[in-house]
Amino acid sequence: MRLRLNPQTLKKLRRFREIKRGYYSFVILMAIVVVSLFGELLINNRALVVSYEGELFFPTYTDFHPGTDFGFQYSYETNYRDLQARFEQEGGDNWVLLPLVPYSPNENHTVTGIFKADPPSFEQKHYLGTDTTSRDILARLFYGTRIALFFSLGFLAAVYAIGISVGSAMGYLGGWFDLLFQRVIEIWSNIPFLYMVIIIFSVIPATFSISTRIAILLAVMVLFSWTSMTYYMRTETYKQKARDYVSAARIIGASDARIIFHHVLPNTLATMVTFMPFTIVSAITAVTALDFLGFGLPPPTPSLGELLKQGTENLRTAPWIVMSAFGTLVVILTLVTFIGEAVRESFDPKKFTVYK
Amino acid sequence: MTDLNLESIHMTKFSGFKLMVLALGATLLSACGGESEPESAAVAPTTGPSGSEQAQAYYAANPDFFSFKTPADIPTDLVWEDGADLPDIGSPEAKTGGIQYEAMQDYPRTLRHVGPDSNGSFRNWILDNVAVMLAHRHPDEFDYYPGLATSWAVSPATKTVYIKLDPDARWSDGEPVTADDYFFLFFFNRSEHIVAPWYNNWYGTQYTNISKYDDYTISMTMPEAKPDMLTHALEHTPVPEHFYADFGPDFVDRYQWSFVPTTGAYYIKDEDIAKGRSVTLTRVENWWADDKKFWRNRYNAEQVYISVIRDTAKMFEAFKVGDLDMFGLSLAEYWYEKLPDTDPDVQNGYIHKSVFYNQRPRPNYGLWINTDRPLLNNLDVRLGINYATNWDLVIEKYFRGEYQRMNTAFDGFGEFSNAAVRARPFDIDKAQEHFAAAGFTQRGPDGILTNAEGQRLSFTVTSGYESLAPVLTILKEEAAKAGLDFRIEVLDGTAAFKKVQEKQHEIQFTAFGVFLEMYPRFWESYHSDNAYDDAFLEDGSVNPARQIKVQTNNLESFADYEFDQLVNQYTVASDKDEMVQLAHQMIQMHHDHASFVPGFVQSFYRIGHWRWVKFPENFNHKHSDSAGELFVHWFDPAVKEETLAARRSGQAFEPQINVYDQYKEEL
Repeated sequence: MRLRLNPQTLKKLRRFREIKRGYYSFVILMAIVVVSLFGELLINNRALVVSYEGELFFPTYTDFHPGTDFGFQYSYETNYRDLQARFEQEGGDNWVLLPLVPYSPNENHTVTGIFKADPPSFEQKHYLGTDTTSRDILARLFYGTRIALFFSLGFLAAVYAIGISVGSAMGYLGGWFDLLFQRVIEIWSNIPFLYMVIIIFSVIPATFSISTRIAILLAVMVLFSWTSMTYYMRTETYKQKARDYVSAARIIGASDARIIFHHVLPNTLATMVTFMPFTIVSAITAVTALDFLGFGLPPPTPSLGELLKQGTENLRTAPWIVMSAFGTLVVILTLVTFIGEAVRESFDPKKFTVYK
Repeated sequence: MTDLNLESIHMTKFSGFKLMVLALGATLLSACGGESEPESAAVAPTTGPSGSEQAQAYYAANPDFFSFKTPADIPTDLVWEDGADLPDIGSPEAKTGGIQYEAMQDYPRTLRHVGPDSNGSFRNWILDNVAVMLAHRHPDEFDYYPGLATSWAVSPATKTVYIKLDPDARWSDGEPVTADDYFFLFFFNRSEHIVAPWYNNWYGTQYTNISKYDDYTISMTMPEAKPDMLTHALEHTPVPEHFYADFGPDFVDRYQWSFVPTTGAYYIKDEDIAKGRSVTLTRVENWWADDKKFWRNRYNAEQVYISVIRDTAKMFEAFKVGDLDMFGLSLAEYWYEKLPDTDPDVQNGYIHKSVFYNQRPRPNYGLWINTDRPLLNNLDVRLGINYATNWDLVIEKYFRGEYQRMNTAFDGFGEFSNAAVRARPFDIDKAQEHFAAAGFTQRGPDGILTNAEGQRLSFTVTSGYESLAPVLTILKEEAAKAGLDFRIEVLDGTAAFKKVQEKQHEIQFTAFGVFLEMYPRFWESYHSDNAYDDAFLEDGSVNPARQIKVQTNNLESFADYEFDQLVNQYTVASDKDEMVQLAHQMIQMHHDHASFVPGFVQSFYRIGHWRWVKFPENFNHKHSDSAGELFVHWFDPAVKEETLAARRSGQAFEPQINVYDQYKEEL
């Protein structure tokens, strides 16, 4: 399928660029997404480069290196921070280049000898402090946000795919198909979503890997969220179908598929685009809420919700936890909202009207 | 007492039923329950024979078990004991009155004492800490002091305990407590209507006879003259015969929300059950035991108001503003971070902090390995898991060195515990040796060991303790060093309990509540009867067709023919030395089997309480489990007003941080 953007749409995109707040939010968010793709190079307890006895190692994306590879006595994964300290002490030619934040999100690293929440410390490179079991908050936040972002993008894609197909079909075909699906959707959307997620997720065996569990969570959430999109698409398709240009296309002899993909869908772009940011926001909020309640991603997966929970439990004694988690959530959701606002404005045919 | 989960252990007081230490999680769904459902009204009145008539018929049908005798039948050579020399428990300084404010995490699901859902932590308020039994163990001396009994005598030769009942004893509805209520206890607990198989089994097999000599004299006979026969005879709360007039097959529904009359000091009025929100206990007016030596000056508050606060953090905040009187500070996080000694409320003496060291059997926190599962049935894998589990690090860094390593699942039973057996330390080399012996020699790309078939050395660790999830994440990180992967599954408390009862777990992080008794139990958790149906053939070899048995406490699916013989010997043994020797042997065997990774024990409990909560001068009982369980504290309304006023005006009192360590023991 190829959507040929008509001049109208191009104009709208130009308009979007002109709305600075939304445009820069979009740029920042995209930058975050791109950076998070290469997060292992920035926040990780594996070194970027190790030069050991004349040989270079790049452990970030490779198999693990047991300590014995670098002259330690142990057979488990090398502690590269220790390695760096050792090399510095020995003063030879060996060196280690560590990422900016040399901690993994699951690692308990304490400076006080006790696993507890420690305040931010630049010296220790715990830039946002540690959580209640001495894990680096920045690392957990970063990877938690990454999961939430990609989760919500996946959610968006799936919900849109189902919502648009069903919605358009309802609007375009009309008749019994429309009636039937309206009833199905009415029933389906009355099932309490949160409870269903909780119930389904509580019976999924833990033997599944964490990524499988995330995929299942995604599937369950999509299953109960695709309905809202259909109604918007249905009305929009109905509207477009009645327009003269559709009739004209039909008279010329265009097939249904051609009409849908070449005429109707491009004209409903405004609706689709407008709802995108809100769908993302709702996905991030939902997965955070589920984690907060303890029904989301299995421990020790880093997540915003789990951090928020820890934060609210230690509001007075470790305010930095809730501040980081809450701050991140606010930033991400604000960015997405700004983008949404700008998109809505730029796709609004009534450019100079004001909502009252 | 508002306790954190480490201490919220509930169990039936009376010997036997070991329960999972539950941190009963509140499910969201139950939160939406309406305020009052007219369930009891929906149950139609029964037309069949009354509970009493059914009981009479049952006695007549079982004449060997239920005997009606005359006082002349009581042997004359008995040595009667009454525990009168033991020290008082309550303090003469105690003042009566006031309201005790408490919180619970979950609303009780029933007010029944037995049957489905009756083992919630709310039992403590209506049964375990409140109801008076025939006699109770003295919290310092271990000997029995009288409750409903006035004196008792043991006759080892006839395996019988004779008991004289206190004629003063009354149910909370004013009816006298008589020998009939003890007969009814046996009828009741042997009835199938109560849907409590464990009780059916216990009361059906652990006693051979109960006799009534007159309204206030009874005796109970047991199949074996165990060294702790008294426990089996005395730790009973009778069942009120007059209350169960409508006893029948619909017992579970009919009595779901009926408060059972109690022998204790607190009862619940119907109007004080605000479903989903709170329960209020009210003191029985002119309680029969008010002037008894061991019961006076106890249960001092006029009312106990228990509201639902689902979140521990919120509970703590409620305590901090004075809405709750006491709060369990056993977790280091609370003791050091949330309510540190430097906290203004502590420094100004408004809130007092106390640590009490105690001596008693401890809940056996640890990893219970289901040996019925593939790979876990391999001894080397289990040994490896033992060596790869770094409890020492958890204790040192997460629990701040305050807990101690548990060495066996049977610690704290004095000479019955086997001090020679020590838990295996964290040792990566030894762990890898054992894993290698089991075929796991290659480390995969993530450092986890794999065997020749490419199987990963990975197991699911399930737990119902949400607040202890950090413990598991630490263990996971450490185990990875030895090439072992723990997949962590933290479930709601009820769901976790269900899973383990269905034996669906691989490894479970949990604990059983153990209570104050003389020697550990082996049958429940380690006899093959509770692991498989027909575990062994006649000759002692493994039955190839055996099926796993669900709904038992044998979480390790532990089945060993030789061990079974020892458990059987232990069950019938009446000689203490023989039992000690058998216990040691079994503990050693269980250790060698490596199906349990002993975790940690907590040898103290800690509380914070507001200044207006007063405890007796000498308060610190050797065998106590929590500060509130004996109800010796009292409330001084004048001090409460004074404290709150002082807090507003900034006036300070002497800070009080007390450590009671005379019962501290080196483990």
